[in-house]
Amino acid sequence: MMGSSFDRRDFLKVLGWGGAAVALSGCGNTSVEDGKETVVSYSEPTDYMIPSIGVYYNSTCAQCDAGCNINGRVREGRVLKLEGNPDSAINRGKLCGLGQAGVQHHYNPDRIREPLLRSGDKGEAITWEKAYALIAEKLQGVDGEEIAFVTGGMSGHSKVLLENYLLSFGCKNHFVYEAVAPAVVRAANEKSYGVTMPRLSINKAKLVLSFGADFLGSWISPVHFSQQYGQFRKGVDGQRGILVQVESKMTLTGANADRWLVVRPGTEGVLALGLINALGTASGDAAAAAQGYDKERVSKDTGVSVEQIDKLVELLKSHTPSLVLAGSAAEGYVHGSQNAAAINLLNHVLGNVGKTIEPAASVPFPQMSPAVGGTAALTKLGEGLSAGKFKVLFNYAANPVFTAPASMKLKDELTKVGFKIAFAHYLDETALQADLVLPLDSALEDWGTSVPEYMAGDAQISVQQPLMEKLYANTRGFGDILLVLLKQRQSDNYKDYADYYAYLRGAMLQNKNALGGEGADDDTFWNHSLSSGILKAAGSSAALSGSASAAGLTLPAPAAADAQYPLHFIPGVSASHRDGRHANQPWLQESPDPLTTIVWDSWVEIHPKKAAELGIVEGDIVEVTSKSGSIKAQAYLFPGIHPDAVSVPLGQGHEAMGRYAKGIGANPFAILDAVFDKETGELAMHETRVKISKTGQRVVVVKDEGPAGGSQAGKKIAARLDANHVDLSKEA
Amino acid sequence: MHRFLRLSVLLMGLFVASSYAADAPSARMTEDSLGPEVAQPIEFPHFRHAGDVNKEHPEKGGMQIDCMYCHTFARRSAVAGIPPLQKCIGCHQSIESVKETPRIKQLFEYWEGSKEKNIAAKTPIPWKKVHDLPDFVRFNHERHIQRFVFQQNRPVQEACGYCHGDVKTMTVARRSKTLSMGFCAGCHEKDHLVSAEGGKDAGNQAYWYGFTKPVVKTSGALTAKGPNDCWQCHK
Repeated sequence: MMGSSFDRRDFLKVLGWGGAAVALSGCGNTSVEDGKETVVSYSEPTDYMIPSIGVYYNSTCAQCDAGCNINGRVREGRVLKLEGNPDSAINRGKLCGLGQAGVQHHYNPDRIREPLLRSGDKGEAITWEKAYALIAEKLQGVDGEEIAFVTGGMSGHSKVLLENYLLSFGCKNHFVYEAVAPAVVRAANEKSYGVTMPRLSINKAKLVLSFGADFLGSWISPVHFSQQYGQFRKGVDGQRGILVQVESKMTLTGANADRWLVVRPGTEGVLALGLINALGTASGDAAAAAQGYDKERVSKDTGVSVEQIDKLVELLKSHTPSLVLAGSAAEGYVHGSQNAAAINLLNHVLGNVGKTIEPAASVPFPQMSPAVGGTAALTKLGEGLSAGKFKVLFNYAANPVFTAPASMKLKDELTKVGFKIAFAHYLDETALQADLVLPLDSALEDWGTSVPEYMAGDAQISVQQPLMEKLYANTRGFGDILLVLLKQRQSDNYKDYADYYAYLRGAMLQNKNALGGEGADDDTFWNHSLSSGILKAAGSSAALSGSASAAGLTLPAPAAADAQYPLHFIPGVSASHRDGRHANQPWLQESPDPLTTIVWDSWVEIHPKKAAELGIVEGDIVEVTSKSGSIKAQAYLFPGIHPDAVSVPLGQGHEAMGRYAKGIGANPFAILDAVFDKETGELAMHETRVKISKTGQRVVVVKDEGPAGGSQAGKKIAARLDANHVDLSKEA
Repeated sequence: MHRFLRLSVLLMGLFVASSYAADAPSARMTEDSLGPEVAQPIEFPHFRHAGDVNKEHPEKGGMQIDCMYCHTFARRSAVAGIPPLQKCIGCHQSIESVKETPRIKQLFEYWEGSKEKNIAAKTPIPWKKVHDLPDFVRFNHERHIQRFVFQQNRPVQEACGYCHGDVKTMTVARRSKTLSMGFCAGCHEKDHLVSAEGGKDAGNQAYWYGFTKPVVKTSGALTAKGPNDCWQCHK
């Protein structure tokens, strides 16, 4: 009886007292490490190194492709904290949460520390000499066409070296694969404006109409846009800017908007054409394209009321210049290019081109400018793989096994490659498939240069330099590895460069004059480059094409309801997780999602009405099933989503990568249908249809908001108003 | 009944645990009780470097070297700093008289390297820490040295000695104060003079010492206490 009566409460009591006892006994009043800890001095100190006083170095953030310039605090040889570089035109001294987590990438306990060679299911640690010899051996007699090199977005000198390396084989198979990238918008911009990435001036606009562009959260260069947004809200000529967000799932930007319009998924272009029609100022092509998109039809198609369209037209008329943005929500459809074209056309009609959309500066070294890509590369890679074309495959800064739709069966297709080499920081899903894994230096240990794709100010080259000594002796920089591989091919051309640092220094000094170092001696210029972290280049900028061409712009009728899969599936892109490459950084797992406040997990956003219809309550584990697969996650009732759509954030659901990522949440990439944008061939990420069903399990959702959630427990802390009731004229 | 039994077991456990804590030698420390004797890789003679000059037997006396000649960061950083190896060598390479003594030979093994002892050249000496505080306590040397040495114009050895004891008489240092919270608070509660003859002007800093206005004593002396806020040390 006594044994069985020792219940949970008593057990906790004992545990509590036990803990107190341990604490007491450990609570002497002596110093804790007297005579135990070793205290090591410098052997030959440098003047500026004072223990406990920080030294600051400039470098470049590698957490996302925005390429913010950073400033790291180093104390006693350890990097402690990153901030923005105040001289940067991109981030002007600020840094986002994702960037802050860069130190956790560096100190991550799951980093790979030795080159690993596959031996059955395990990786066997080998030396670098052996690894290099093995690569040379495997490439022996291999034709250029039989080599595939998969990378994420790249720029700067490592891109130059990579291109040279591939050229030495005559290899054209450089697949630039970015799982989450504005690839369709780039193509649409090229057509509408003549450049892929124009400079956007949110701060000069009096009205921003964003079609699902989450520029405050995860879109292109969020830190830069957030600052522009601050200025925009202060206002041009004292007139506070108005933000209208049109999307099917509320993003962080949508949550900040004055007016948030929920639109039927995929009809963003229809609304844009409807606005052009209602404005009535268009002529020629544009007018022709918008013909027939009268308010009633548009309202019926998009679900946005006629009244709202009228109000929006009034705002657009009274607020010039404005800025219309096509974001990832608009481009993720089979007709994504058309959506983006219609939205860009609206900019032309409103006369924003040349005012809030300007040509961006570009660096005078085209070979260093960014190689960008999207998911179209994946299709080509998949084709090559299934044809058994590749004998050797390299993978760097991409994780296609995790981010490709499961229906593409990339993991199986990879087995057809004779020898797979992964450059990796962690043993992620792709690295696990490799035969040889080469451990990389962290971004805070490595040398490099980069050219941001979105050029915020004057043309610039960002310098990346080590903030501290390497943590592990057997990791290498990507540039260093490339240089060794290049020496295997063309030893004569590269024999002067002992390492990547020497190459980088040599290459920069060669172009000293174009980089603002005219007249300076080499050392002065180089030291200046390193201390400032940013090199301004005398850049040029192409003029935008001013004419609005709407030729070939046709939008399909809204997709008919699918009886079997009635719901639209929206993969959410969060500011912290993006495509999931940083899921093993616990700060990012721990920081709550800005809208749902959920941590350390995935969730399914579902409209309360729909949830009531299906009998789902918060915390129900629901199964989301598409034609291509299914995932399970906790339900979260979210009023900021179209009732006919559900959303699951990307980035979670890793099967590998590390202790903080593995087994957390579900991976929505896996259930995406392999449907592509017609024009660009990019994966139509928002085109997947799903059904959801309850599994019968229920959990407590771990989140920061109170149990009453968004209802504010009936306290009316911030009064919730219908979008119709917001009086924008007071702010205008 | 069973509940009572369980409770008594719990109480016994607690009693044993607390008596263990009370028995720990740490609890019986007085302000001047000594810390453990710490064996160092080189038996560094503090008395030879910092001790008073002995006119009768110069070889037994010290050279009265300022503490901060070697612990050079104390006045500008939170930590005093262990002197870099280069500093030891800087003097000792030109002091021929002691070059062949065992300790100096050992010193040069770290600088020049030693194959038989498997020491690479320029290896920092692995000194053992003698004065350590728990990680949740932040002590700032700079603050104290600036106040007592520069503003109060007190002798360096006296100021350092408040916490480190009479190091100039020791060979390797040994902790001679408890460095407990009570030890720190005891001093922070005292009224210390704000300015002194020959000292650096404290200016408005006096207000920051205790976050209270300095008190003017009847003698006319301006005094201020040390800060008394938890967060000053527990940051």
